[in-house]
Amino acid sequence: MGRFIIRRLLGMIPFIFLVSVTVFLLIKLTPGDFVSNYAASLAASGETVDDAMLESMRARYGLDQPVIVQYWDWISGVMQGDFGYSFQWQQPVISLIGERIGLTLVLSVSTLLLTWAVALPIGVYSAVRRYSFGDYFFTMIGFLGLAIPGFLMALILMFVGVSVFHTDVGGLFSPAYVNAPWGWDRVVDLAKHLWVPMVILGTSGAASLIRIMRANLLDQLHQPYVDTARAKGLSEITLLIRYPIRVALNPFVSTLGFVLPQLVSGSVIISIVLNLPTAGPLLLQALLGQDQYLAGAFLLLLCSLTVFGTLLSDILLALLDPRIRYQ
Amino acid sequence: MLMAMAAATPTVALAYQEAPALAAQVKAGKLPPLDERLPKNPEVVKPVQSVGTYGGTLRTAVRGDADHNNILKLVGNQGLTRWTMDYAKPIPNLAESWTVNADASEYTFKLRPGLKWSDGVAFSADDILFFVNDLLPNKQFFQSPPSQYVIGGKPMRAEKIDDSTVKIIFTGSYLQFPNVLATPLGQHATLYSKHYCQQFTPANPELAKLLTDSKQPDWATLFRQKCGDIEIPARWANVDRPTMDPWVISTPYTGGATQVVLRRNPYFWQVDTAGNQLPYIDTVNMKVVSDIQTMLLATIGGQFDMLMRHINTINNKPVLAQHAAEAGYVLQELTPTDSSAMALWINETEPDPKLRPLMRNHDFREALSLGIDRNEINDIVYLGQGKPWQVGPLPADKFYNEKLGTQYTQYDVASANKLLDGMGLDKRNAQGMRLLPDGSKLFISIDCMTADAAAIDVADLVKKQWAKIGIDTGINVMERSLYYERAQNNTYDIGTYAVPSGLNPTSDPRAILSTHTLDSRQSLPWVKWYSSGGKAGEEPSESMKQRLAQWDQWKAASNPEQADALFRAILSEAADAFEVIGTVRAVTTYGIHAKNLINVPASMPNGWDYPNPGPTLVQQYYFAK
Repeated sequence: MGRFIIRRLLGMIPFIFLVSVTVFLLIKLTPGDFVSNYAASLAASGETVDDAMLESMRARYGLDQPVIVQYWDWISGVMQGDFGYSFQWQQPVISLIGERIGLTLVLSVSTLLLTWAVALPIGVYSAVRRYSFGDYFFTMIGFLGLAIPGFLMALILMFVGVSVFHTDVGGLFSPAYVNAPWGWDRVVDLAKHLWVPMVILGTSGAASLIRIMRANLLDQLHQPYVDTARAKGLSEITLLIRYPIRVALNPFVSTLGFVLPQLVSGSVIISIVLNLPTAGPLLLQALLGQDQYLAGAFLLLLCSLTVFGTLLSDILLALLDPRIRYQ
Repeated sequence: MLMAMAAATPTVALAYQEAPALAAQVKAGKLPPLDERLPKNPEVVKPVQSVGTYGGTLRTAVRGDADHNNILKLVGNQGLTRWTMDYAKPIPNLAESWTVNADASEYTFKLRPGLKWSDGVAFSADDILFFVNDLLPNKQFFQSPPSQYVIGGKPMRAEKIDDSTVKIIFTGSYLQFPNVLATPLGQHATLYSKHYCQQFTPANPELAKLLTDSKQPDWATLFRQKCGDIEIPARWANVDRPTMDPWVISTPYTGGATQVVLRRNPYFWQVDTAGNQLPYIDTVNMKVVSDIQTMLLATIGGQFDMLMRHINTINNKPVLAQHAAEAGYVLQELTPTDSSAMALWINETEPDPKLRPLMRNHDFREALSLGIDRNEINDIVYLGQGKPWQVGPLPADKFYNEKLGTQYTQYDVASANKLLDGMGLDKRNAQGMRLLPDGSKLFISIDCMTADAAAIDVADLVKKQWAKIGIDTGINVMERSLYYERAQNNTYDIGTYAVPSGLNPTSDPRAILSTHTLDSRQSLPWVKWYSSGGKAGEEPSESMKQRLAQWDQWKAASNPEQADALFRAILSEAADAFEVIGTVRAVTTYGIHAKNLINVPASMPNGWDYPNPGPTLVQQYYFAK
């Protein structure tokens, strides 16, 4: 096991290097650069900027250098823990990302827990009571959850909130708590606001998990080993939990690799619509504005999380399922 | 000739009053008394409607990216001069008065004595000198100085006469200087406080340590991070930066911000006619909202007291009007400063050699213009609010040129067809579309930006209308950066964009003269030719060369009548050349403000050189109790 983990970790190094090159090239492939984009965005709102100003910005940010030089400047900093500088915000990238990653984690982890807490029991119920009224009911809810785009649901919920309950639009805090120091009151305020994005983000995830769980469990329920266990007098609940559910969980664990990067990028559109101070909107702004070091850091982080998440799910699978070999 | 401008100053000294919150701080000994904070003769502002009362929070919204100028337009517009509320002329602002010498090359500004920065330190001639003499010519700070401060290739210089008098010297005449100072781009000289910002320049022996601590690559970057620049977000990210604005930043605009809060400047230098120190409103709270639909939703939910950007498109007007009563806001008229709401910028340096002779042909452009049904565009895209229009100054402006504005605006398919047939485009294919003289297809594409919904709608209609005169048109909708990239690379046939400068046309004549490096889409190679002094780009047409020469003379003119005559000649030459095809005159737009927000003018210009609502003096708005 130890050797397996070390080998996988070593294998990540060249992979992440290739990822960093690809990420940087992709950012540079888009037309224009940060400065031309900055000028264009001002021009598009009828504002003007002086040409001399633009040229000196380009020189100051090193955007007049060849791509290879810019890449080296960036990656050599990254290796020393310096992720560079956001042109747009005149702030180190690391502090910008750090500012938002905390709330992003809170939102994503609580959404994930909610999704699992809802999806697992419903999935099991639907499989065990197949074609019952409950199964059809939850299946319908599930399909609706899959079919309605999250951003639309967000807009509708907000509209109902504004026109019926006169609540704030979006955000994770009431105005009074936005800049308040952390304390019990602020946590309560966060909890009051957090459920809306949690429900919206969780709906489609839960819906697909219910379907996966139901299908996996149905495969298992008619296996001979289940009949054997039942024949030996195990109670239905103990039987279910001890054997078929454990086997049916495998696909859940193997999707963990994709759950980690989803923490950052999965909720971009919904975060923008709901106006959440999470990482997604910042990533989108950075990409649109060609804020290359900020966007690069985000994409590198996403790719590393995917790689790391895959490793994590492999390890968990190995622990969970003794049939898996390290070769 | 000697010109002088002076503000009306009160002859009787008033007893000044201040906001209750500030009075409490004075009582607690945290703030000097009001008389020590105000200048000796604060500017007396006559409120638009009535003298107000103190208090309240102005709630508004700012977008999460590239919307820093929203804050500038609201609070940060403190130049030596400012526009009158009706955008007619510049009047004294931080300067109490100014005089100019005979050839308009030396301006002497008298600052209001006793002005103070928001941290209580005196604002003096030294602050102006700090920018003009120390920063402006510094190669590390500006690789080349901004053009608005340069005459005859030399940046301006400043001489200190005394603490509150400063003389600005150019190497040649600069009649426009007081106007430039009233626009956002002309306000560097009053942006940087020497006592605070100098620590980020090489004048500070400890600079090296500051650079290492902040991990900034060079002092110019550090300086801009701490003291900002006219239009970068960092201007609103440092709560310690002293300003002359009515409100100062207390919760900064940074990448992670969810709201931006500004609090009253206790040293603000204006009072109302009853002697109350401005501003009336305590706090400005700008919620950071990324999505425009969300912003719209919050507006109809009554969560904003004022908003004049982003949501005020013509298609949102019905929904905003519908919810006005219950949400407690009123629609505010914003008069356009633009000329044409949407124009087709025919590329005079068309890259396709077969198309180029056509695009350069006056009759071809005339036929295209006659083939546009502007009334249909007006009814469908602009809800009937506009009027058929080409480009150039609006009738209300002193430079109005009827021919430039109204020629070829009638819809006349027969004449258009006749013109096109007459230039050898009489052969058509099976679909009735015209062929080039060599028998190949005549196809023109129109570039539009995804974000510019009006441009796409107009292009759609134009495509249908041009089909009736046998011109086959395609529409290229693309993301903003690609749109600008294609213009820079000169790989487009027709660009779409509004034409600015319907009022004060000399400030941005991009449709009349090829001078705007990003947006003079009648030909960007011409712009490059002009800005490089003929070394790069492509030589413009004779007509454009003549106009550019007159423009250079206009810039150097020392006599206003002579300058105006030159600009009129440029306009009439542009009318003859007919390069940019306009569609509909810029339409009146709107913003919203809370019903109980008083002293907002019933109507205000909407622009960038007039960065509304700033010049209407937001500091004299107040909430009715």
